[in-house]
Amino acid sequence: MTGIKILLTTGVAFIAVYFFLRLRNSIFDIVILLLLIAAAVAFILFPDITNTIANKLGVGRGADLVFYTSILIFWFVILKLYARIRRLEQIITHVVRKDAIDEAEKN
Amino acid sequence: MLNQNKANAVFVIIPFYNENTVIREVIEDLLPYNYQIVLVNDGSTKSPYNILKDIDSLYFLHHKVNLGQGAAIQTGIDFALQKGAEYLVTFDADGQHLSSDIQSLLEPLQNNEADICIASRFLEKGMHNATKGRKITLKVGRWVNYFFTGLFLSDAHNGLRAMNRTAADKFNLKENRMAHATEFLIAIKKNKIRYKEIPATVVYSDYSRKKGQSVFSSIRIFFDLVLHKLFE
Repeated sequence: MTGIKILLTTGVAFIAVYFFLRLRNSIFDIVILLLLIAAAVAFILFPDITNTIANKLGVGRGADLVFYTSILIFWFVILKLYARIRRLEQIITHVVRKDAIDEAEKN
Repeated sequence: MLNQNKANAVFVIIPFYNENTVIREVIEDLLPYNYQIVLVNDGSTKSPYNILKDIDSLYFLHHKVNLGQGAAIQTGIDFALQKGAEYLVTFDADGQHLSSDIQSLLEPLQNNEADICIASRFLEKGMHNATKGRKITLKVGRWVNYFFTGLFLSDAHNGLRAMNRTAADKFNLKENRMAHATEFLIAIKKNKIRYKEIPATVVYSDYSRKKGQSVFSSIRIFFDLVLHKLFE
């Protein structure tokens, strides 16, 4: 096992533990998470899998394929987070506004 | 000048954030008109209350945290509508606008020629002493607004507007910061609100230049708009 494999699998293991501690309630989450972890570990330990997939898709190397898909996923995550921030902002605005109107003073 | 009864139904909404140096003058200027004045303090670090507590007939609203000018205006609109306002005016707190211009914005509303009147410093008879950089920014802003809303106004970003109740009811500003000026236009277009541009003066003092929007904040407004279109 090469150094990078150890490094990456440990990283995945830590993330997995962290998520399991937080999301242990929902079966659906656990199944998805298990699948993702299994896939990640498989790709790390046997990088040839990604190479084969990459070649089938017309990408030179497995590492490149992983890189491209990560960019897509990050875009998606950023948009999701942004939408959530906006929603939060709207909720805060609503609360602050209601407060301001309820407590309006008149000289 | 309007008679007493009519003036009572005009609510002037002043969004306010740390403008303590000029706010008193701005309000004293408005007092002779007998409008209802709604001051929305948008979480200022120093409350204006002490400066203004001896002025009668002033509504004070406080945001507990700073949300932005758009949010403050919407709070003022909601409040004024609750209080039975017939006409609502938005007015900047930094002394840029002249209280005497309000009447000319109200007239088309009272004659039922428009539902909202937007002040313009670039129409004939409108006046301003804007710097060259600001003029260019506002010119670009016109096109940006046109691109986002389909309305081509002569002045992209003027804080002075007057609207009737029907129009005010249709506004629900979600852009808390400065992009609300364009959001007004989006709502005008979407709800087919009758609008009219009215020439008005914008006075740039050293103070308002310092406090107001820099040319660069227009970039932020632009991105707020792009995101607004994407997420609403």
